[in-house]
Amino acid sequence: MEIRKLTMLSMLLALSVVFNIVESTIPFIGGVIPGVKLGLSNIIILFVIYMYTFKEAMYVSIGKVIIISLVRTGLFGITFFFSLGGAILSTISMYMVKRYTKLSIIGISIIGSLTHSIGQILIAMLMLRTFNVIFYLPYILILTIPTGIVVGMMTRNVLKFYNVKA
Amino acid sequence: MKLTKKQYLYRGIFLILTGLTILLYMFIYNVDIKEHSKSFFYMDTYINVKIYSNNTRKVNEAMLEVDKIYEKYHKLTNRYDSYPNITNIYYINNNLGMNEKIKIEKELYNIIDYAIDAYYESNGLFNIALGNAIDVWRSYRIQGHGVPTYSELSNIGSLSIDDIILHDDYMIEIDSNVKIDLGAISKGYTTEIVGNYLESVGLDKYIINAGGSVKVGNHYDNEKYKIGIKDPQKGGNEIFKVVNGNNISVVTSGSYERYYEYNNEVYHHIIDPKTLYPPRNFLAVTVISKDSKMADILSTVVFLMPFDEGKEYIDSLINVEAIWYKNNGQIHYSEGFNIYE
Amino acid sequence: MNKSDIKLILGLIILVILVSALMFIINIATVNGTKKALVYYDNDLILSIDLDDSEFREYKVSGYNGDVILNASNGKVRVVEEISPLHICSYQGWIDSPHEIIICLPNRIVVKIEEQKEKIDTIVR
Repeated sequence: MEIRKLTMLSMLLALSVVFNIVESTIPFIGGVIPGVKLGLSNIIILFVIYMYTFKEAMYVSIGKVIIISLVRTGLFGITFFFSLGGAILSTISMYMVKRYTKLSIIGISIIGSLTHSIGQILIAMLMLRTFNVIFYLPYILILTIPTGIVVGMMTRNVLKFYNVKA
Repeated sequence: MKLTKKQYLYRGIFLILTGLTILLYMFIYNVDIKEHSKSFFYMDTYINVKIYSNNTRKVNEAMLEVDKIYEKYHKLTNRYDSYPNITNIYYINNNLGMNEKIKIEKELYNIIDYAIDAYYESNGLFNIALGNAIDVWRSYRIQGHGVPTYSELSNIGSLSIDDIILHDDYMIEIDSNVKIDLGAISKGYTTEIVGNYLESVGLDKYIINAGGSVKVGNHYDNEKYKIGIKDPQKGGNEIFKVVNGNNISVVTSGSYERYYEYNNEVYHHIIDPKTLYPPRNFLAVTVISKDSKMADILSTVVFLMPFDEGKEYIDSLINVEAIWYKNNGQIHYSEGFNIYE
Repeated sequence: MNKSDIKLILGLIILVILVSALMFIINIATVNGTKKALVYYDNDLILSIDLDDSEFREYKVSGYNGDVILNASNGKVRVVEEISPLHICSYQGWIDSPHEIIICLPNRIVVKIEEQKEKIDTIVR
């Protein structure tokens, strides 16, 4: 991989980890309903999808999950699989939606946070064998809309700097 | 005519919503069969009868008959009220002279006969001749304080079953001013008759709830009725167990139904014929069997027996199960109870 | 933001309404019964708490990382203390219905509420 791209991706990876840590220190979010978060690291993934390709987005996405597990929650613990499921589903969905539909970056961002939460719930249902988690679905559905819009807008502005239209 | 994408979308959404609404509607109203419910107040109890059938006319006719049956037995077994031209327990207890014989209606005759048999089968634990002692307890309960002495209870009048004599041709004779009290059997007995009546006219899917006596027939949906048992330690509708079954009777005798407290002790209404006092082993005993009058009698009898004896007795009976809710909160089940879980 | 986005958002809102309505209806035919909190370690039930008791009670179970302390009172249950990096599950606070669940991933503890929500046909009093 070209050095420039490698460096850029590494910095982005580090940045997304930082975003994740910062997010988790905010009270309220992440406490009441599992799977709800500001989704700031989605800015990074979205950015990578627009600047580069699907492959790079997956690297950063999965890389972020691995680093977070190493540093904070326990590598290969249940949280790891939880986040991994959400991240993979989210990245794939965002890419598919960008390529095959006419959604703008806002819409893609909403899909991204939506599928991230859905992915986490699915993994939770599978690994913990509880169906009950599905009751959080309506709350999650509603909350992803505003956070998705905000993240999308922020990413669009960042991409402007790089003259990438979104 | 080609539709624009927008029109497709709107039609699609409309169809999906309609489809979902229909599904929801079907989900809620999936029961074909109609529930008819009617309530009555007899024998000091709020009685509710539910019949499941599509034949409304038939159900309405049956409900009228059910009302008549309960009313009849209510009047006949009533020991606190008199009715013109009805020779009921009140009359027998208060107006019949000693050694005087009188003819009574066959319904009343039969229930007394059945109760006397139960006396001998239960070794005297089920005794409808305790009216005099029950009256003493009742007056203390109304007062709310004090406790009768054994001599008060035993001297007020005869408590002997032998003083109730049934003769041929539906005649009854009372000796030594014994007083008959049918409270422990009237609800179960009548409920059994009502249940049999409903079945005889083809209305076999029903729930009869006469307070502590419940009888259910066949289920309206090929499942099993879920019969909750009230938790004696909690108020209102709290239950501690669900009995799942069809064509069964469930009867509970409890110390919480009629009682008063004095000096931190609870004195309830189920009297042990031997001590003439209410025993303090159980908060409630529930008996499950097909026949409602048998369940009613057994619930009183087993309530009065010590746990080990009672359990042995119930386990020896076929198709009878029981639940003991002890004073200390422990709950025990008879051996075969799991068929109802 | 373009038309597709608006459609997406509207679609989501409709979905939310439908799903909520469905869950609400599924909830309707229930009668009271007993409410219990079930505590699982992985898939094994390690503790069952009777929530009908209104007294305040404390429980301790062993999670993967150490002790996990639970409180139960007034039909609610919560995790008070647990050994984990983010303390998410003690953060979740009280839960009191079967729709809510406390998941302590690092400790592999899950707390669910079970109500005997059978539709009771009648009650013997």
